[in-house]
Amino acid sequence: MLVRAVPGRRSRHVGEGCAGRAGGAVMPAVLVDVSEMATALAGRLGRGEMSGSGEVATATAGLLRRIVAHGRWSSAGELLELIRTESRRVIAADPSETTVGNIIRRVMKIVREEYSRLRGCGEEGDQDSLHKLLTSGGQSEDLSETLAPLRTNVIEAVNELLLELDGMQDNISVQALDHIHSNEVIMTLGRSAAVEAFLRDAARKRSFQVIVAEGAPYCQGHDLATSLSAAGIETTVITDAAIFAVMSRVNKVIIGTKTILANGGLRAVIGAHTLALAARHHSTPLIVCAAMYKLCPQFPNEENTVHKFVSPQEVLPFTEGEILGKVSAYCPVFDYVPPELITLFISNIGGNAPSYIYRLMSELYNPDDHQL
Amino acid sequence: PLWLSGDGLVERPGPSADGSPRPAMDELELVDYFKTQMRENEDVASAVAAIRTLLEFLKRDKGETIQGLRENLKAAIKILSSVDSSVAVSSGGELFLRFISLTSLEHPDYSICKKTMIDRGELYLERISASRNKIANLCHAFISDGSKILTHSSSRVVLRVLEKAARAKKRFSVFITESQPDSSGLKSAESLKKLNIPVTVILDASVGYIMEKVDLLLVGAEGVVESGGIINKIGTYQMAVCAKSHNKPFYVVAESFKFVRLYPLNQQDVPDRFKYTAEILKSAKNLAEEHPTVDYTPPSFITLLFTDLGVLTPSAVSDELIKLYL
Repeated sequence: MLVRAVPGRRSRHVGEGCAGRAGGAVMPAVLVDVSEMATALAGRLGRGEMSGSGEVATATAGLLRRIVAHGRWSSAGELLELIRTESRRVIAADPSETTVGNIIRRVMKIVREEYSRLRGCGEEGDQDSLHKLLTSGGQSEDLSETLAPLRTNVIEAVNELLLELDGMQDNISVQALDHIHSNEVIMTLGRSAAVEAFLRDAARKRSFQVIVAEGAPYCQGHDLATSLSAAGIETTVITDAAIFAVMSRVNKVIIGTKTILANGGLRAVIGAHTLALAARHHSTPLIVCAAMYKLCPQFPNEENTVHKFVSPQEVLPFTEGEILGKVSAYCPVFDYVPPELITLFISNIGGNAPSYIYRLMSELYNPDDHQL
Repeated sequence: PLWLSGDGLVERPGPSADGSPRPAMDELELVDYFKTQMRENEDVASAVAAIRTLLEFLKRDKGETIQGLRENLKAAIKILSSVDSSVAVSSGGELFLRFISLTSLEHPDYSICKKTMIDRGELYLERISASRNKIANLCHAFISDGSKILTHSSSRVVLRVLEKAARAKKRFSVFITESQPDSSGLKSAESLKKLNIPVTVILDASVGYIMEKVDLLLVGAEGVVESGGIINKIGTYQMAVCAKSHNKPFYVVAESFKFVRLYPLNQQDVPDRFKYTAEILKSAKNLAEEHPTVDYTPPSFITLLFTDLGVLTPSAVSDELIKLYL
């Protein structure tokens, strides 16, 4: 990364942005209107062009890096305000895609940390705590000081975040051998990229069987089954209705999720709650493979939780004309799984219990950013 | 100013008219100040009144050392507990002692230390007076339109939360237990009626009967213990067990100064000095024949705690206490 300091000039005027990834050329410093970039990302999200949370996370982090590098801001406070305004547009495009909000909060925490470090305030957590309430002498930190190296420091930190996002899948998969043993029967639901990589990694050294519940109405379980059998794993596909019947033969249930909520619960693909209840009934451990950027500071009963519905065409096709007028058909996309039903979360930082989620959240996000 | 005393007119230093400090508080003054605080402002939590009294005591203390100050404060806290034996006063007192220790570590010189303590104490009191509003802001988002809420006895924090939800134009109805032996639920029901919230008072015994109708439970707490459980008016534990068996969420609202360093494993573990009122402790011959006024609800029955430190799961409570005391 090359940084050319322009002597005597502050970052408010034309400054030099730093280079992109390792080995890249120096990016020309142009302070553009970043709202076009945000609108472009919002468009892609709205049209559903991005497949999988990993891609969304990388795209959001890339957008934020460009906002930091080229946006018009001079102090940490202004940068946070700019990020907040642009992010609202992106989130509004698809509110159920919580990964966008999570990456934004992560970057905002990075900005605050870099700011404190530059001011030499130390890295104590800025969460509210009893200790802080008793010992702090003044009001909360004010973010309006202009610090010249802030731009480059933040860009460097966001690059680190992008590298981390790249390696997330691998960090999860390497833990597979600790959890999957020979001749075990694993059950999963639908198709999760994290679970697929997890199982494929374990299959290199162990032989086990997988039972995949198809996950109607889109039946992505079929694709997962094809992919797993191509990797040499013995796979069986079952309908969702057969989950309870087959559960007695299963050793472990491993699923992915869309979001991990603040109380340790999940917002996962529809059918996950049924699967979790069946597992609890048979005392089968339920393991969730999810990267840390899926951790969201929302609680499940809050008034602004989002539910997504898709066309019930798969459930009740339009050909059934006479019934359609008399019947309401709903096709929800997500399901809530309460934390009591989950045994373990496997993420890029290792295995954690659901009761520990509050701690991970306090390390990743600042409480002031929970409401964007 | 001249005062009449046993041996004629004597000169006694008056109240800061000439800027000189007032005499140290003795026992009677302490109790009087505390009672005045509680009487003047019905709405204030007993822990806040205790902390305010202790701060006044600190201002007027004549000692020259931290050790002496701590000893005096410990004695003062004991006196206050003999007036009001609730957990909240004890937790407020312990928090204040901790506050003294933390501040004294920073400034070895006593006079600077004392001044810092007084300034920070005032700031802390200001902050915690805003804590109920903070909690109400967090909690009212969890009350959805058309919900039926069950609450227990009278809690000023719960009242504030429901007030906030009502002002946010949410439609909900409240069931409230009358909460014997002091019928404090009736008082709360009156305040709710004034806010135009539909409220029904139920017997303590009909909690099981009503449970199938309610959507969520919302109670206050007199103390939040290290395990994440709560100590609250008798009848709370019963309600929590019933809620769990019906799968209803059980929410607790409590300010952060109610966090106390206790770890009861069962009901008997809660110290007697919290279970009975101060008068009974002094006058009863056999405590086993008295009715306790509080019980302990273990953390496994609690869904979430709403505090001014944020929304916490029960496992996060011990983390907060560790951050303070270690």
